[in-house]
Amino acid sequence: MSQLKEIKNRIVAVKNTQKITRAMKMVATAKLRRAQDKIVSARPYANKIDELLKQLSSAADTGSDPLMEQRPVKINLVVVVTGDRGLCGSFNTNVIKFATQKINEFGEDTKIIAVGKKSVDYFKKSGHHVIDNYPNVFSNLRIEIAKNAVAQIKKGFLDGSFDSVYLIYSEFISMIKQIPRIEKFLPIVDEPDAEKKSSKQTGDYIFEPDAASILSDLVPRQMLVKFWKALLESNAAEQAARMTAMDNATRNASDLIKYLDLQYNRARQEAITKEILEIVGGAEALKEG
Amino acid sequence: MIDLEIVSPVSFVYQGKVKSVSAPGTNGGFQVLYNHAPFVSSLTIGKVKIVDENGNEKLYSISSGILEVSNNKASIIAESIEVTDEIDIERAKKSLERAIERMKSDDKGIDKDRARLSYERAKNRIKFSGKEK
Repeated sequence: MSQLKEIKNRIVAVKNTQKITRAMKMVATAKLRRAQDKIVSARPYANKIDELLKQLSSAADTGSDPLMEQRPVKINLVVVVTGDRGLCGSFNTNVIKFATQKINEFGEDTKIIAVGKKSVDYFKKSGHHVIDNYPNVFSNLRIEIAKNAVAQIKKGFLDGSFDSVYLIYSEFISMIKQIPRIEKFLPIVDEPDAEKKSSKQTGDYIFEPDAASILSDLVPRQMLVKFWKALLESNAAEQAARMTAMDNATRNASDLIKYLDLQYNRARQEAITKEILEIVGGAEALKEG
Repeated sequence: MIDLEIVSPVSFVYQGKVKSVSAPGTNGGFQVLYNHAPFVSSLTIGKVKIVDENGNEKLYSISSGILEVSNNKASIIAESIEVTDEIDIERAKKSLERAIERMKSDDKGIDKDRARLSYERAKNRIKFSGKEK
C-alpha cells in the first residue's frame, strides 16, 4: 500500500508542476505578442530616421560629428542584454556564452554594461570590469531606460573612456530560433558612397538652423532607436524561448504522468491480486482444517 | 494637401492629409502649407498644430524632434509627443515638482541642464493640457 501512495503523491506533484508550466507558457505567449507589437510600432520611427540620415549625409559633412569619429581602438565597451528571469531554456546562457567569447577576443580592458538581471548577476561574479548595471528592466520596459543608457554611453564615448561600443543581444528570428548577435553601436559608421548618390535628388533642402546641427540632433536619436530595438528584440526572443521551454516542460510532464499512471495501475493490480491470493489461501486453509 | 506622418519611438501617432502644420522650430515657430520648399528643421519644446482636410484643428505637445518636408510630404520625428487632451496632468505636475527640486539642490551628481529641460517639458505639458482646441 505504501508504494501506491508514493506513486499517487508523485502524480499529484507532477500535475501541479504541469499546471505551472502551462500557465507560464500562456503568459509568455501573451507577453510575446505584446513584445512583437512594440517592435512593430518602433519600426516607422527607425525607418524615418534612417531615411532622413541618408538624405542628410549627402548634404552635410558627416565626418564632422564627434560620435562618428573613428579613433584607434584601445578600450571596447560591450553592452550585454539578457533577460531578467530564468526558466527559458538556454536563452540567457547562450547570450552570456557568446558575450564572454567576444569579450575575451576584445581583451582584458573591455568594459561592460550589463542589462537584464541574469547578465548583471553573471558579470558581478565573473571579475570583468562592469561600469554599470541595469537589472529588472523587462518587467516594465520603458524607453526612458534606453534613454538613460544611451546618454551614459554617449558621455563615456565622448570623454574617451572607451573607443568603440558593441551591443550583444538575442535576435528574435522565429518562435523556435533566437540567436545571440553582436552589433556595432559607436562610432557610427558612415554610409557607403553608393547609397549617398542614390538620394542626391533631394539635395536642395533648406536647413534650420543648419545641416550639421540637425545631423548632430539626429545621430543620438538613431542611437536611441538602435538601443531600444535591441531591448525589444531581446524581450521578444526571451518570451519566445520561454514559450518553447515551457511547452516542452508541459509535454514532458504529460509523458511522465502517463508513465506514472501506468505504474500506479500496475501496483494497484498487484496489490489486489495479492489480496485475493491471500483470501483464497485463507479459505483453502480453513477448508482443510 | 500635405501628406503628414508623425512618428515617435513607441508609436505611430498620426498619418493623413493635412492643410497645414505649425511647429516650434529651434529658430522660431513656423507653418508649413501646400507646396512648401524642401525643408528640414529641428523642433523644440512646444506645440504642434495641424489642420486636417476637413478643417479640424488638432494640437499636440512635443518635447523635441525633427520636421522634414519635401514634395508635399511631411514627417515629424518626435522624441515624445501627445495629443494635448490626453496629457496626464497629475504626472506632469509631479515631474514639474521633481524638476524644481532637482534644480534647487546642491548635489553635484545632478545634471542641471537635464533638470531644466525636464522642467520646461513639464511646464509645456501643463500649459497645453487644459485646452481642447
